[in-house]
Amino acid sequence: MTPAPERMLCLWCPDWPVVTARLADPALAGRPVAVIERGLVLSASAEARDAGVVRGLRRREAEGRCPGLATAPVDEAAAMRAFEAVVLAVEALAPRCALERPGLLFVPTRGPSRYFGGDAALAGRLAGAVPGMDPRIGVADGTFAARLAARQAAPGVPVVVPPGGSPAFLAGWPVGVLDDPDLASLLGRLGLTRLGDFAALPSGSVLGRFGLAGLAAHRRARGSEEHPPEMRVPPPEWDETVEFDPPEARVDAATFSGRTLAERLVSRLGAEGLSCTRVRVEAETEHGERLTRTWRLEGPRSSTGPGLLAERVRGQLEAWISRGEGTEREDEVTGGLTLLRLVPDEVVLAGQSQLGLWGGDRAAAERAARALVRVQSLLGTGSVVTPVLQGGRTPAERVAWVPFGQDPPVGAEAAAPWPGALPPPFPAVVFDPGRPAALLDPAGEAVMVSARGVPSGEPARLRCEALVGGGGPVEAWAGPWLHDVRWWDPAAHRRRAWWQVVAAGAACLVATEGGSAYVEGLYD
Amino acid sequence: MFGPLLRAEHAFPYRDGMGTPEHTIASLRSAGVVLAGERRIPVAGPLGTAIPGGGLVRGSVVAVRGGPGSGAGSVTQWLLAAATATGEWAGVVDPDGVFGALAAQEAGVELDRLAVVRGVPARQWPRVVATLLEGLSVVAAAVPPRLSAADERRLVARARERSAVLIASGGWSAEAALRLAVEGSVWPGLDEGAGSLGGGGLDVAPGARRLRVTVTGRGAAARGRVVDLVWPPLPGGLAIPAVDVGAVPAEPPGQVAV
Repeated sequence: MTPAPERMLCLWCPDWPVVTARLADPALAGRPVAVIERGLVLSASAEARDAGVVRGLRRREAEGRCPGLATAPVDEAAAMRAFEAVVLAVEALAPRCALERPGLLFVPTRGPSRYFGGDAALAGRLAGAVPGMDPRIGVADGTFAARLAARQAAPGVPVVVPPGGSPAFLAGWPVGVLDDPDLASLLGRLGLTRLGDFAALPSGSVLGRFGLAGLAAHRRARGSEEHPPEMRVPPPEWDETVEFDPPEARVDAATFSGRTLAERLVSRLGAEGLSCTRVRVEAETEHGERLTRTWRLEGPRSSTGPGLLAERVRGQLEAWISRGEGTEREDEVTGGLTLLRLVPDEVVLAGQSQLGLWGGDRAAAERAARALVRVQSLLGTGSVVTPVLQGGRTPAERVAWVPFGQDPPVGAEAAAPWPGALPPPFPAVVFDPGRPAALLDPAGEAVMVSARGVPSGEPARLRCEALVGGGGPVEAWAGPWLHDVRWWDPAAHRRRAWWQVVAAGAACLVATEGGSAYVEGLYD
Repeated sequence: MFGPLLRAEHAFPYRDGMGTPEHTIASLRSAGVVLAGERRIPVAGPLGTAIPGGGLVRGSVVAVRGGPGSGAGSVTQWLLAAATATGEWAGVVDPDGVFGALAAQEAGVELDRLAVVRGVPARQWPRVVATLLEGLSVVAAAVPPRLSAADERRLVARARERSAVLIASGGWSAEAALRLAVEGSVWPGLDEGAGSLGGGGLDVAPGARRLRVTVTGRGAAARGRVVDLVWPPLPGGLAIPAVDVGAVPAEPPGQVAV
């Protein structure tokens, strides 16, 4: 029999992205709000949920279901900054709290509960410490049970599962709460609809049938430790530290170092066959202030790459550096950072998230990422870009250039029909904006195109700096094709005519607009 | 008594990397051995039939020249496609931000394994290229005017040390394993106001164009050849091999003898 896991209190502020959006814009209070991430609903307020807006809905559909829905883009940094106030209030009452994401944190209750006189008393204290946030609080053995207890709790009414009662408490929940849709659907088809049914299976059979991820889920369902207790205390030489001299006051520069640290930590642990499930971020400032915060890095399959860790470090640094902005607080961070350290607090054997045995694509990608990040440190983040295709009509429109390491923005739908889009082949050289040029008819007048697409004359000469010898006589041409751009918007309306012109030994993509012409690309 | 020894020898790679069982390759690779067959990045299509060995030699420099519109940009993109097709990463140093990503995808480049570096000041150029060569398999870079010979030699050494390929477009005077001079391309399909580029000629597939390339280099390629390439290949992926159209002139214009 495995010992019962550490007793945990879970404090959950529901719909934290919505709370953040309302803090940023008080006009949103009381109205249905949805926070949108990459075109999909990430979080919705209670009013919006009543109207049928759920997570994962497309923005347009959400607006259709709930007229008057206000939408706000997701702002991870603001969410982190806002949650910092909650964390500070919790830390004042109970130490060693660990954050999982903005809006969700865990506190081991052993010490504080004894001090305040029981789990219920501690929960009441914590709820009172964060006024206006109406957090849901649950206490149970183990983080998974505590989280479900918080989910069951109502505002102001914490759910406290008695010590040793976690397995019984968990047994009634549906398997969907394991946060692993594949596993849940498979269990459902096997007739195991409740966590209790799943927990009753012998763990050896679970490992054989469902693998390591299934075994971790089985441990959660049984209310025991989520990870086997081996390798619990990582040696101090695994800490990753960077010192700043001179002190660093800019968030982006500190974040950059944080990213490098995160990558080093993850690759070092990966070399040992481990992955990190809890990390402590520590920082010191030039005025001797010491800041430390613990983050739980828990994916559904505990596959923790450097990306998630780096994102957590960035959010924490932003929260610290902007802490106390606008308000006079005792705990304000007054100086630049002199030191940043990542301490792996808890490591587990990496499951399926390790490098391919012989390197391979993933190793190539990591090697490339290191080189590209170094170039970004030389020239700036925006200097290294990767192309992402999106919808559009012209070669320049159809490519979004995304800084390396960032998520692509939601661009125009590439699969949607784009009538009038220029067909392949595409120019190998794209000028954005186009290079000024002159497309002239035999009489030396600029070629114009009427609204009906009739050119004023045949192109005879193309002049442009980008061509050999500044251009020359037109050898062959085709066009024009008309683009009526944004005809519904008088301010942005433009009418452009597109041509393919061979001149000076080069096939060019030329656009004319009124009397002016531009070389938009070379079929190089 | 030599029987087992001889059989064991078959497990080791020959210089040409032929006939080596896959599991042995894996075990050797884990021991840090670079196999002869891995020293080349195979180039698909007609360009592959035109260059010696059918691929880019790792740790070498390829010099590509050709004026605007000659087709040098497409040749560079085909070489980048070779790198991304093997699952490795390719980079482009593009100070003016004119790299046509759609055309690159058309040429076969996997865009999610391509990084483009923009806004590189000429002063920083050698350092940026050297950094990229450390992590990427193939780096294409337009050589800025007045790049010092010492910088060129350093980059040659860096490419060799990191087993990466530098595709230098523009003037490259230091050593290069392969030089491709693109002399111009013919696009069928365009008429006086009718048709569209690549609209199809009589003898080529729709969308195809013809490029004339002078290929010179070291070793097997020392004699050089002038070839005509047709791109893209016929429907169904059938590549038209490069057609030799003559010998290289004694002193190709604008080239420094290697």
